[in-house]
Amino acid sequence: MIFFREVDKHYGDFQVLKGINLQVGQGEVVVVVGPSGSGKSTLLRCINRLETITSGELVVHDVKVNDRKADINKLRRDIGMVFQQFNLYPHKKVIDNITLAPMKVLGLSKKEAEETAMYYLEKVGIQDKAYAYPSKLSGGQQQRVAIARGLAMKPKIMLFDEPTSALDPEMVGEVLDVMKTLAREGMTMVVVTHEMGFAREVADRVVFMDQGQIVEEATPAEFFASPREERARAFLSRLIAH
Amino acid sequence: MHFRKQGGSNDMLNFSILERYIDSYLAGFYNTIQSSVLALIGSFVLGTVIAVFRIAPVKPLNWFGTAYVEFIRNIPLLLVVFFFYLGLPSLGITLDGFVCGTIGLAVYTSSFIAEAIRAGIMSVPKGQTEAALASGLTYLKTMRHIILPQAIKIVIPPLGNQFINLIKNSSILTVFAGFDLMYYGDIINTDTFDTFSTYIFVAMFYLLLTIPLSFAVVRIERRLARND
Repeated sequence: MIFFREVDKHYGDFQVLKGINLQVGQGEVVVVVGPSGSGKSTLLRCINRLETITSGELVVHDVKVNDRKADINKLRRDIGMVFQQFNLYPHKKVIDNITLAPMKVLGLSKKEAEETAMYYLEKVGIQDKAYAYPSKLSGGQQQRVAIARGLAMKPKIMLFDEPTSALDPEMVGEVLDVMKTLAREGMTMVVVTHEMGFAREVADRVVFMDQGQIVEEATPAEFFASPREERARAFLSRLIAH
Repeated sequence: MHFRKQGGSNDMLNFSILERYIDSYLAGFYNTIQSSVLALIGSFVLGTVIAVFRIAPVKPLNWFGTAYVEFIRNIPLLLVVFFFYLGLPSLGITLDGFVCGTIGLAVYTSSFIAEAIRAGIMSVPKGQTEAALASGLTYLKTMRHIILPQAIKIVIPPLGNQFINLIKNSSILTVFAGFDLMYYGDIINTDTFDTFSTYIFVAMFYLLLTIPLSFAVVRIERRLARND
């Protein structure tokens, strides 16, 4: 479904991504880990072209993402995204946050869109907040709304960009639980996170990045038990040291 | 304009002028309102479009927007209106003073409004655009449904200032025989020679427009702030 081949990305002189090769198949959950500044988020954001690549090939759903002729809006419909800072629309109620894209992009009627919205709000466990404004919700609740907003487009892929990094510790669990449910239901997911417990439990594959490169790619069992690369070992030992 | 020094202090403010010339005052007042409202709508729409031009991810639009703003806001209003009044006839388009003044006012004010709106748009966090685009919304729909509604809250106070300026600037119509409040003031003055009273009443009519507008801006500002 997602296919990176020798992808490079530069910001001016600085190379953020170096020769990325990565494949994500349908229903797979790939967790990207690594120190900050390693290019994880950039990699993720290339998938729906929030960032453009400099060279190489990136194909999502048989669409060449960086082809000028690619219908990027059409591609983005099928890719849900959850951000570190939630990015809910503060001027819209929770339900309107969720119904906006289904109505304006897919052309659903208000009634259909609201039914879908309520279904997903129930799924993430906050249907009682449907008519509240985002500012009245806790961080964990906001992030669950953001997930519901992504799901309401019935995407084929969900991208998570450090979804729990901005949350108070006691709210991390509720968001991870929703993500685990999604993974179990067979959603294709690419998750950038520092939550090693989540990676261990749900990932089909763990991708370790450092300095813009994919250093190691392995099953969680292999990766956490015996990382092959020195840099991955150092990264993991630093995490455990805390 | 004819000016004459006032005599005794008893006739500082001669209310009989207001009474006698009320029809003229009201005619001018009405035209000032009409011109202001039209220019207000025109400048708002034009200003929004130019603001979007300036930040759109299309280089030629950026250039056009920047050139428009820098060109228009850096020449006097009077000259902008002159362009429409004297320049357009050479292209075979002749418009009366009221229309020229109103168009000139709208164009002139739009350059300031564009800057205010652009600043408002820039102050909306980038994550908002990203979330909207990531959900498949087009750039224009993202602007319309997500960015502009949030930007407008930030823009209300500077926008209010621009609209108040616009109402006052509408007195430019006088120069082009636009039959506005100031124009009638001049006519009344040549009749009465009571410059002070005549123009005090003119000022009162302007205040009748601008003070409620000031209060309205404050109220809207408060109401919009409530949901954040």
